[in-house]
Amino acid sequence: MRRAALLQLLVAAAGLLLIPLGLRAANRLYAAPDLKPSYLPAIEGPRDRVPFEADRIPALAGMNPTWVVIGDSMAGSRIDPALLTRLTGGQTAPLLYAGSGPAWWYLALKNWVIPSGIRPRAVVVFFRDTNLTNVMFRIDATWSLDTAALDREDDLNAVVARRRGTAFYQVRDRVDRVYQASQARRWLEPAVNEWPARAMFPFRRQRGALLDQLNERFGLAHLRPMDAADMQATEDREADFDAFAADSTLPLMLRDARAAGLPLLLVRVQRRPLNGRPPEQSAALRRYVSRLHAYVESQGGVFMDDTGDPAQTLDLYEDGDHLSRDGRRRYTEMFAVRLRQRFP
Amino acid sequence: MIFHSLDFVLFFVAVTLVYWRLGHRAQNVLLLVASYFFYGYIHPWFLSLIASSTVIDYASARGMERWPERKRTFMAISIISNFGMLGFFKYFNFFADNVHAVLAAAGYDVGLPVLRVLLPVGISFYTFQAMSYTVDVYRGELRARRSLLDVAVFISFFPHLVAGPIQRASFLLPQVEEKRRFSIEQAASGFYLMVWGFFKKLVIADNVGVIANKVFALSDPSFEILWAGVFAFAIQIYADFSAYTDIARGSSRWLGFELTQNFDHPYLARNPADFWRRWNISLSSWFRDYVYIPLGGSRAGEWPWARNVMITFLLSGLWHGASWNYVLWGLYHGVLLVLTRAHDILRPASRGPRREARGALTVLQVAGMFALTLIGWLLFRETELSAIVRDLKLSPFDSTPLERQAGLYLFLLAFGYSIPLWVQSIWIETHRGEPARPVGWGTAALRAVACGVAFAAILVLRSRTSLDFIYFQF
Repeated sequence: MRRAALLQLLVAAAGLLLIPLGLRAANRLYAAPDLKPSYLPAIEGPRDRVPFEADRIPALAGMNPTWVVIGDSMAGSRIDPALLTRLTGGQTAPLLYAGSGPAWWYLALKNWVIPSGIRPRAVVVFFRDTNLTNVMFRIDATWSLDTAALDREDDLNAVVARRRGTAFYQVRDRVDRVYQASQARRWLEPAVNEWPARAMFPFRRQRGALLDQLNERFGLAHLRPMDAADMQATEDREADFDAFAADSTLPLMLRDARAAGLPLLLVRVQRRPLNGRPPEQSAALRRYVSRLHAYVESQGGVFMDDTGDPAQTLDLYEDGDHLSRDGRRRYTEMFAVRLRQRFP
Repeated sequence: MIFHSLDFVLFFVAVTLVYWRLGHRAQNVLLLVASYFFYGYIHPWFLSLIASSTVIDYASARGMERWPERKRTFMAISIISNFGMLGFFKYFNFFADNVHAVLAAAGYDVGLPVLRVLLPVGISFYTFQAMSYTVDVYRGELRARRSLLDVAVFISFFPHLVAGPIQRASFLLPQVEEKRRFSIEQAASGFYLMVWGFFKKLVIADNVGVIANKVFALSDPSFEILWAGVFAFAIQIYADFSAYTDIARGSSRWLGFELTQNFDHPYLARNPADFWRRWNISLSSWFRDYVYIPLGGSRAGEWPWARNVMITFLLSGLWHGASWNYVLWGLYHGVLLVLTRAHDILRPASRGPRREARGALTVLQVAGMFALTLIGWLLFRETELSAIVRDLKLSPFDSTPLERQAGLYLFLLAFGYSIPLWVQSIWIETHRGEPARPVGWGTAALRAVACGVAFAAILVLRSRTSLDFIYFQF
């Protein structure tokens, strides 16, 4: 009885490990189209990609801006480029992508700003708390990342590989290679997610239209304010500057900006105030910001921290950490003054 | 530490390997150390709470036995300390917000303090479990234990520490105290439970959870989209919570423990009472034994019974979270139970339908109860009362064809992911009551294939968004 139970357990374990090898055979039947390797082989295999937006380079060169603003919706809801241009007398070029992360900000600087040969008085990057040292933050937002990435991004890939080089990822990668799971996922996942559309509509065009309309229906414009605001809290385990700075895009940005002779201004935005006060910061986060500040300045960058600015009260904010339309105007006015002081 | 992480797999394998090389007392020491490591893995300060709860309840129980004339005092100490801790961490802000709202409505704008502290994971589970020990000792149904180690292991046993099932002292403590033997049959069944649990969490719950999260993030859902989202949430919460329970029960079996069953295919319930016999059984029975029956249960007639049911369900709702929507959810289920009873009183059971009509009636009853459960899940998931009102006012006649298509698409997608759950539930339900047979090689082979398919599905269909277990927040 005991022996039979042991054998049955071993058979179950063998089934668990061996049956998924069938994915390898299935991959031969449902081969993915011939795709170019990703610029981030550390985290993904070949896939379809959005083309690199090369026309940004001549556009920047033609504009020859005084200020370049890079960032996500934190920058977009704070800076009114036309107003900043009017207030400072210098053109402002916004390089913004809602939902982008530090990898995109780095690529925008490296692949658009620097090749354009422009000489702005400052390249300004807006970020929240520990964003700059967390390369994995929104690294999966490939729809934005692709627009700024070349076919090879070795420096970025190396940083990502180092950051994810934990035991977990190593084991996962090995399992993935054995079973060719990522490859199978590329054809199986769309098949599973699209079966309801196939059941509802016989024609590909109708299905495509439904899925497009669904994407629009669940877009930012239809989300509740706090969901659209994406108010993720900063975790203390991310607030360890010494542990993560070297494996992030921050040193790359500072290095490339310095080599190109571009003043880089990094602005930490203030999170949404609570009860009439700036949000509470943990001791770890305060230590982190102090180390970040010292590091940026030691590498030739300029650091600005909005947190605790008495002028940035709750009435400037709309949802989450985003500012309202009026808040954006007031922030831009304040920012123009600070820019003129810092970059006379 | 969370179950669906490599950290847990390594931790569990290491603990199990060392565990069976030790003697009984050393095993308990290892379980305590492992449980505290598991619980304090991310936030070590959580350990101070569980440790103080353990010491207070241990001492209170010992005090009750040693000084029976002061039993009530020791019971009060246990209740105040457990509920005090729970109230402080879980309900302080809820209380302060509501007091502030009432005062503001009366024209007094008083700034009340806000507690800026993380809710310790699992606090509702282990405080209730610890309370069951002291209450049972108080009632004389259990003797106070001399060994602090055993009591500490009983309260902190890591497989079920964070999200249950809540174990009674009379059930789990003897297992802690008795010598355990490794059983290959138990380990094999534990293995199947764990694989099934991981599949339910990573493939079903997390994928349908994404649908539910997207729908409940909309500011302007249509009738069809909203109810497709509610359906997705119903699947998510069942798959998620029962997955945790399965992994907890499965891993316990590898350590020689048996935990109580927490779910019995609740979406096949035929009426509200049946649902509560099948859903979160350990919590329902806790409230039944420690709240409902002490209130008088059904002994004193229909009106006191209805009152007791409503109080019990109100508290059960509040247990889930410090928010009015949970209170509403609890009251809603209380009302369902009361109305069912009223219906039974007003229309006593007749001989029932003819045999051939019985199947159709069962299907109708199950579908009806599932629809009522969905309304409950809307109250549970939608945290803003204004949104609940808006949702309940939505009409299918106001929707555009696109909204209908979107709703159908989301429903089918969620339903597709949930098919394994329905198949399992229907299979169990139709074979209920049949005598257990020894596992033959045919069944064993089928299980091996199921394990392989489940693992393959985890590899290729696990959600790209890893969600926490829902019941962690409670």
